[in-house]
This record gives sequence, structure tokens and C-alpha cells, in this order.
Amino acid sequence: MIESLFVLSPTGKVIIEKHWHELIPRRVVDFFNDQVSKAMAEGEDVTREDVLPIIASPKYQLINVYRDGLTYLSPVTKEVDPMMVFEFLHRIPDIMQEYFGQVSETVIKENFVTVYQLLEEMMDDGFPLTTEPNSLKEIVPAPNILNKVITTMGATTSVSTRKMPNGMSNLPWRKAGVKYNSNEIFFDIVEEIDAIVDSTGKAVSCEAHGTIQTNSRLSGMPDLTLSFVNPRLVDDCSFHQSVRFNKWESDKVLSFVPPDGHFRLMSYRVNLPSQQNLPIQVKPSINIGANGAKFDITVSLRNTDGKAVENVVLTLPLHKSTSTLTAQCNVGQYMFDPVGKVLRWDVGKIVPRERAPVLSGSFGFGSASSEAAANAGYNIGVEFLINSHSLSGLKVDVLKLFNESYKPYKGVRTMTKAGRYQVRA
Amino acid sequence: MSDAKFFQRGKIQELRLELNSDKKDRNYTRKKQTLKKIVANMTMGNDMSSLHPDVIACMSIPVLEVKKMVYLFLINYAKAKPEMAYEAIQTFRRDVEDPNPLIRALAIRTMGYIHVDKVTSCLIQPLRHCMRDQDPYVRKTAAVCVAKLFMQDRHLVENAGFIDLLREMLVDSNPSVVANAVAALTEISERSDHIQLQLNMSIASKLVTALNECSEWGQTYILESLMFVVPQEPGDAEMLAERIAPRLQHANSAVVLTAVKVIVYLMNYMSREEDIHSMCKKLSPPLVTLLSSGPEVQYVGLRNILLVIQKHPEILKNDIKIFFCKYNDPIYVKMAKLEIMFRLASEHNVEQVLSELKEYATEVDVDFVRKAVRSIGRLAVKIESTAQRCVEALLELIQTKVNYVVQESIVVIKDIFRKYPNQYESIIGVLCENLDNLDEPEAKAAMIWIIGQYADRIENSDELLDDFLYTFLEETVEVQLALLTATVKLFIKRPTAGQDLVPKVLKWATEEVDNPDLRDRGYIYWRLLSTDVAAAKAVVLSEKPHISTETDNMDPVLLEELLLHIASLSAIYHKAPTTFIPHCKPRFLIPSPALRRQNYNAGRTLQHQDSYSSLHNSAQYQQSQSNNMRSQRFDGDDSGNGGLDEFVSSPKQPQHQRLSYHEQSFEQVAEASIGNQEYYEQKINAENPYRTDTAAVGGSQANKGGGVDLMSFDL
Repeated sequence: MIESLFVLSPTGKVIIEKHWHELIPRRVVDFFNDQVSKAMAEGEDVTREDVLPIIASPKYQLINVYRDGLTYLSPVTKEVDPMMVFEFLHRIPDIMQEYFGQVSETVIKENFVTVYQLLEEMMDDGFPLTTEPNSLKEIVPAPNILNKVITTMGATTSVSTRKMPNGMSNLPWRKAGVKYNSNEIFFDIVEEIDAIVDSTGKAVSCEAHGTIQTNSRLSGMPDLTLSFVNPRLVDDCSFHQSVRFNKWESDKVLSFVPPDGHFRLMSYRVNLPSQQNLPIQVKPSINIGANGAKFDITVSLRNTDGKAVENVVLTLPLHKSTSTLTAQCNVGQYMFDPVGKVLRWDVGKIVPRERAPVLSGSFGFGSASSEAAANAGYNIGVEFLINSHSLSGLKVDVLKLFNESYKPYKGVRTMTKAGRYQVRA
Repeated sequence: MSDAKFFQRGKIQELRLELNSDKKDRNYTRKKQTLKKIVANMTMGNDMSSLHPDVIACMSIPVLEVKKMVYLFLINYAKAKPEMAYEAIQTFRRDVEDPNPLIRALAIRTMGYIHVDKVTSCLIQPLRHCMRDQDPYVRKTAAVCVAKLFMQDRHLVENAGFIDLLREMLVDSNPSVVANAVAALTEISERSDHIQLQLNMSIASKLVTALNECSEWGQTYILESLMFVVPQEPGDAEMLAERIAPRLQHANSAVVLTAVKVIVYLMNYMSREEDIHSMCKKLSPPLVTLLSSGPEVQYVGLRNILLVIQKHPEILKNDIKIFFCKYNDPIYVKMAKLEIMFRLASEHNVEQVLSELKEYATEVDVDFVRKAVRSIGRLAVKIESTAQRCVEALLELIQTKVNYVVQESIVVIKDIFRKYPNQYESIIGVLCENLDNLDEPEAKAAMIWIIGQYADRIENSDELLDDFLYTFLEETVEVQLALLTATVKLFIKRPTAGQDLVPKVLKWATEEVDNPDLRDRGYIYWRLLSTDVAAAKAVVLSEKPHISTETDNMDPVLLEELLLHIASLSAIYHKAPTTFIPHCKPRFLIPSPALRRQNYNAGRTLQHQDSYSSLHNSAQYQQSQSNNMRSQRFDGDDSGNGGLDEFVSSPKQPQHQRLSYHEQSFEQVAEASIGNQEYYEQKINAENPYRTDTAAVGGSQANKGGGVDLMSFDL
């Protein structure tokens, strides 16, 4: 059970404080801030992301999530399920995003009362309660333009006319009485490749995960059935709670009554053949000497079904003792961040059968160079995306709608992109 | 309008005037704005409590938003100013009977937060009604409220019949109500000395049915409660596990991991190997999926995976690649992955593992690099066929001259020498080139051990030792002990080379040093050498016991306990919850005809937290154990477990812990642990409150003799 929550600003100041049980003194936040600074002082490469998500203090276990500069801190004294705490802490910015369009210290302060009301509904006595945006919006109105107008006009709905929240129906995720003039539903199939590739281009490990993000703008209580041409391509699926699991088990179709708005319908693992041809090949060569290194990096397309690869960005973190860098590239532009010691190459779009982008140059270690610099390994982070392409080949066959008579507009997009994709030099 | 401007320190008087203004206020818009300012000020820590008469007066306004703000105000200040709560009691009384279920629920919820006796006593009657309210939203709020009330006044809840009401709610028609009732009961059971939740199969089966229909959080509560089902027949365990299995594919990782926990628990009660095998197969994919989530979820997942695979090694045995580290993984994720990689390493994948480890050894993070180097050495000890390649890898790393890499390599090479005598001694020359750079005690001690052990093969071993001896008195005990033993070994192997050094060291050890271990060991050597050199030789140069990576395995008793705590803080720290969480109920496998034999024993030994925690105080327990064994050997060799206990401790445990045991004398440790063992067995036989639970399961009789009131639910 969650006992208390502090939301901390990027400088570690308390923005939000909420206690469901005993009052936990703010001293605990000071202790936490000290631990964070201590951890970050441990090494040059230690960032805020490296701070342990669970820190022990003499009295509390400090469970914390760091997101977009804000820290969501929950000190607990009793045994809890940390997974549940993390899931819940992540929901807070998710919901704020949904309500306010963005999450920051300023946004929270501007919507203070709404945030507190939301927290009140999201958790009771430390038990997560209602975290479905659809149900929440019925209990706590979102501060949209319309609401603001209504408020200023003084035309609020009084208690007597309020509907019961739908949270108690058997479909806690969908509110009743949704109405749209044009009914539409969009599916985004996004597949991300996580890979570690060695310098010869061979994948050391390779995984691909897909998600189907859905935006539903359908009236009433639509009951949908989505089927795929080739459902066997996916594995280890997990579903939004609206999906009827038994139907998937027996018929491999997704049968569900969607929530209103954005939600993640399904995520899955792509079954990759053991020797997967990755869509893009990055060939680095880095020759390290005592005082510096010469490098060149070539990017080429391999397996994209003739599609262009877009937004290609390569990042190469260099050793901390690197002081100088010179380079040239035939495509895109590069940038060296002399403080963070990161070389970033924005390659842009690569079209099949055009000349391969190359970046070459050299960098030098400063006076503080050491054996560690000369022996350090290098890794290149790779980002890219390919539109209208799915690595797995998963294809939507048909979407059927029951329980409502209208004909909705249906849209499906696919995209493959790099997830955590890196090449070892 | 944004709330930001409310933050300006509002003048109390101004706010009061605004709140009481007679101006026309259609739909209470003005009042709402003012209350917003007050709430905003309050949450910023500005004291608004003096406004309470005016704020409480607003409670009668029939607008939900207004009520909510007044309630926020009350919850905030009632504790400090109970009289404020008294004033609100009348309105509470009205609100709990309001026709609008939202208001009834809100009133009950708010009253539960106000820990003022008068309010609490006013809550009892309406709460009872609300638990049977016709509206499910009210009922589910009331269920949680009972748990709240329990925290304030246990006796009240136990004596006022609330437990029975909660029990009735377990068969409510609404799944959310069921889930909240289960959550409340579990919570109460975990905190209470008298109440222990136990569910029979029929109620468990009903709960699982509700599982399919309730919210994600409700699912975790119901799953958690299934830990209190004791299957009486293997068939029950299999059926339950089978029905829970679809939860492994939930999008919420808390649901997934709790489902894993229940299934791993139920596997203890299954009889057929093929059922266990098929369950293991189902567990792998969801655990893999956890690793594609954010770093916190990955971390919790990894720490739990490390437990699960120790009990069921077949899980994930073919998935080692997903544990390979990315360079931008947070450090704590990398460390946790590395431990799992080491455990999953086998003849089949060792090649890949080794090449990964070599890669990690070139990264920048020092702790991670050290652990990678250490893992290479341990891999050699674990898998004989790969030892040659590991040694080559370590040699390459030593050539880099990166100081901490060299030191770490030397520490593990010592273990390799011990494990495979007479195979890799040819590399000693390379090691000796790096003597000057050693500044860490562990590395020094390891190097000194190597010199002593091979004193007859290293030509200038006497000179090398002499160099180290130069700073003898400034060294740590670990290094001093190593020097003492190495010098004696040198003397026995090459008397002429050692004859100048030995007297010097023995004199230092027995006269100049305060440490009793060192002194005792010095005297023993001294007497041995002066009375019977042959005996000394037999003792000092005796055959060393084999080392293996078996010592990496977690104490099986602890492992069994931690498996019952998957998805909890204990499973992160790998420490029994009773050792770091006050007033925590220990869990153990409750015997039933279906419980598998080996678990039965392990389960029994978990029952006594006091004796248990004194024995198992995390890593120290392991150390004192290995220390005992060493004291019996009497060759004074510290090489046995030097590098081998790290994998069982939690990731960031400081290394100095390892040194602490030197301060205790061997005999003390031995005595202490024997004493405990006896105590521990007596305790088990004397008063075991759970011994008779088999009788109580399924029935509703309470085991008053043991002081435990077992809640058993029969329908």
C-alpha cells in the first residue's frame, strides 16, 4: 500500500504532498535529495537515471520514479508490492498528460486543485482505485476550454443532475453516453527493434516489440472485433483490460468494447527468425591510439522492402577525456557536444540505392588521458523509423462493429522504428 | 483561469469576506473560486485553519465540487484541531444518508481519514449500513474504510462485526466490491496478531471468477489473496494455476508479477512433474516481457527473476540474450542483469556469455566493469570447459593495465588456481609484472596467496614477499593474514629463502598487532614450526577443499521464504522481510497433504522469525558460516571464499562487510551459531501456532490454543 506521495521539482522542492496514512515529515525528502546527489557524485557518467528506484533510509523505503524532470516519491514503511507502486506512480503523470496536455512544475501549479482532486479519486487509503482516464473524467472534470466557459458563466451541473460515475459498471474503462458526429477509429501498429549489433553487423541480441495504439472516437457502446491476416506472427501478447482474453485464445481475434480516446490496445513480441535481417546496417571502425582515435562510420540500408528510412540519428558517446574532434560527413550534419562528450550525427532520410552516408574524422584525448581511455569500448546508439512497414509483417484483416448501427471510419498505420538499438564499435 | 495566482499568500480576512459575501452567487461560482484559493493555499503549507467555521458552513451546499473541497480542508486540519471535526459531524450524519451514492461514499471515505474519536464513533453505524448499501460504489468505498478504521482501532473493528461483514462481501455480485473487500481483509490479516486470512477452494474459485471482471488493481488484490489458499489436493493447485495463467498476459506489470508469485506458490502443491513443467513454460514469456518496460519495472523484474530461476532453473534457460546489457541501461539494471547472466550461463551458451563479459569490461562504469571481470573468473570456476578461454580473457584484460581491471582479475585468478591446480601457473609471470599497481587489500591478499602457494615455482618469491612485508604493519588484517600464511608457506617450501622472513613476521603478528585472529594464527604457526615441522607442513600445505560456485546459491531456506514474497521489497533486497520491516508477519508454506516433501521441511524451518533473523542476518550469516569451516581447517587460508560470496548479497552492498568478520574470533562465531540452532529446534517443537492449521482449513473453528484466530471462509 502506498502511504504518501511527494512530487518533486527538478531542483528537489516539494510541489505536491499527499498522505493517505500518517503524516510523513518532509525531512524524508531532504534525505532523498541527499541520496540522489550522493549517487550522482559517484562518477562522471552517473546521471539521474542511474539512481536506484528504491532507496533504503533508516525508517522508510523510498520508492521513486523520475519522469520528465519530476520525481514521484513514495516513502513506505511497510511491505509493499513495488511493481504496483511503480505502475501507480507512472499513472500520475499519464493522467496529468491526459488532463492538461503536458506535465511540468508550472502545469501542476496551475491546476493544483484538479490535481488534488484527481489524487483523491485515484487512491483511497493507499489502494489504487480509479486510474482509467475515462472514468476519472466523469468524476473530476478536465479543465478544458468548455469547462472554463461554463465555470465563468456559472452554469455548473449541480449534484442532483450528476450521473453516477460509470466506474461501477462492468466496463469500468468506458463512459456512457459518448457521442460523436463522425465516428472514427485509428490503429497505429508500431514495432520497435531492440538490438545489440557487433562491429561486423551481426546481431548479438535482437528483440522486437509491437504495440497497437488506438484512438477511438466512436459513439455509444460499440463492440469491436479486430482480426489479423496473420495473427501467428505475434507472441507473448498483453492486452488492454477491455480485450476478451478467451476470444484471443480460441480464435486469435481481438474482441473488445474500446475506451473512449487514446489507449494501448495490445502489446506483443515479434517472433523473429534466428538470423533476422535488420533494416539498416551501421559499420563503425574506430582505431584508438595512445592520444586519440580515427574513426569512420558508414550507414547502409539492408532490408526495408524498398522503403526509405527516415529520421536516422546516430549518437556516439566518447570517453570523458576526449578534448578535440574533427569530422566530415557526406550526408546530414554532425554535432559534438564538448561538455557531455557526445558526437551526434543527424543523417536524416536514407533512400534505397542512393550513396551510403559516411561520417569520418578523428578525436583526441586531453592531457588527462589514461589507460582507461585507450581501452574503452564504444557504442553507437541508433535511431530511425520506417513508415508503412512492419517488421513482423502483421496485417489487419478486418474490423467489425457490433451493437451500434453507424459505419465508422477506420484507419490503420504501421511503422517500424529503432527502440533501444545499439552498435558496438 | 489558472490556479497559480491563488498561491499568492491570501489574506485570511479577505478570503473570509469573500466566502461570506452576500452578493448574488448563482450556482455558487464565487464560493467555489474562494474555496479553491483556500485549498491551494493550504496545500502550499499556508495555515488556513482559522477559516474553519466559514468553510464548514459551506458543507451544506449541494454541489459536489464544493463538498470535495471542504472535505479536503477537513482531512488536512482535523487531526490538529479536533473541535473542527465536531462541528462537521452533523453534516456528515446527513451526508451518509444522502440519496446520491457519490455523496454517501465521499462522506464515509472522508470520515475514515479523520482520526478523531468522536468522528470514529459516529462512523460505526453508518459504515455498517454502507457495507450493505444498494449501490456498489458505496459498498466498495466502505470496504476500504474498514481497513482504514482498523489502523486506528483494531479492537473496534474486530469486536464490532466488521470482519464478518467484509467476509460477506467476498461473494458480492459486483467484482470491484469483491476486490476491495479482499484487499481490506488481506491488509487486516497482515497487520493483525489475531486474524489470519485463509481461503478455502470454493471461495478461491469464486474470487478467480471475479478476477476476470474487475479493474487491474482489483486483480492484484484478488491475486494476492490467493496466497492464502492452501490447496489440499494437487488437483486444486493445478486448477487454480491454470485459471490464473491468463493474468500473465495483462498489460499491468503488477498484475503479471503477482500472478507469477501465486503460480510459483501453487507449484509447491502440485504433484505431477509435467504440470510443473508446463507452468514453468508459461512463466518465461511474461517475465521476458517485463524487461521491455521502463527501467524501474525492469529492475523489479530482474531481482524477482533471479529468485525464480534459482528454484526452477528451467525457466528462461534459453532466453539468456535478453539479459545482455545495453550501454545506456541504468547501472542498477546492468548489475542485476549480470547476476542473471551468470546464473543462466551453461555449456551451451558460455561462448556468448564470455564474449559479452569481455565487452562489458571495456565500459566506463567502474563498478560494472569490476563485476564483469569478476564474473569472467567465476565463469571459469563454474564451467570447466571454458576455463582456458576465461584465463586468456583475463590475461588480455591485465594487459590493458587499467588499474582496477588488473586488480579485479588477480582476485579471480586466485580462485581459478585453486579450482584447477597445476594448469594455469604459467601465467604467474604476467601477474608478477603488476605487483606495484596493487593498492586494494583484496587484490593484494590474492596476489600474496598466489606467491605463497607457488613459492617454490616463483624464483624470487622471497624478494616479492619481502617487498610486501615492508608495509606489513600498515596493511589491513586481510592482507596481514595473507602475508603471515604466505611467509610460512615459503619457509616450509624453501627453508633457506624464508628463514629470515618468518621470525620477523611471527614477531609482528604476535606482538605488534592487536587483532586476535592474526595473533592466534601467529601463535599456532609459531608452535607448529617450533615443535614439529612435519606436522606444520601437513597442516599448512594440506590439500585444499574444492571450491565451486555452489556458494553462490542462496540459502535454500531464505530462498523458499523469498519466493513467497515475490513482488515485494524483500524480493528486491533478497532479505527476509522480518529483518528489515517492523511488525511484519513471516510467511511460510503451510503443510497440507498436497505439499511437496522438500518444501515441507524448508517451510517448517521458516516459522520462527526471532531465531531465524539472528541466524540469517543477510550476508553476514554466510560469512560466519564460511568462517566456521575455515577455522576447522586451520591452514589459515583465506582464499576459500574470497570472491565467491558477492552474488548472493544485494547489488550495492558495501564491500567492507566482508571484512567485518575478521574481528570476531572463530570460536565465538561457532558457538553462537550452534547455540542458535538448538534454540531454534526447541522453539519449533514448543509452540507452533500453525501446527494445527490443517485441522482448521476449510472449517471455521479457531485455533484458540495457539492464539491465532483463523479466518476460514466456508460457503
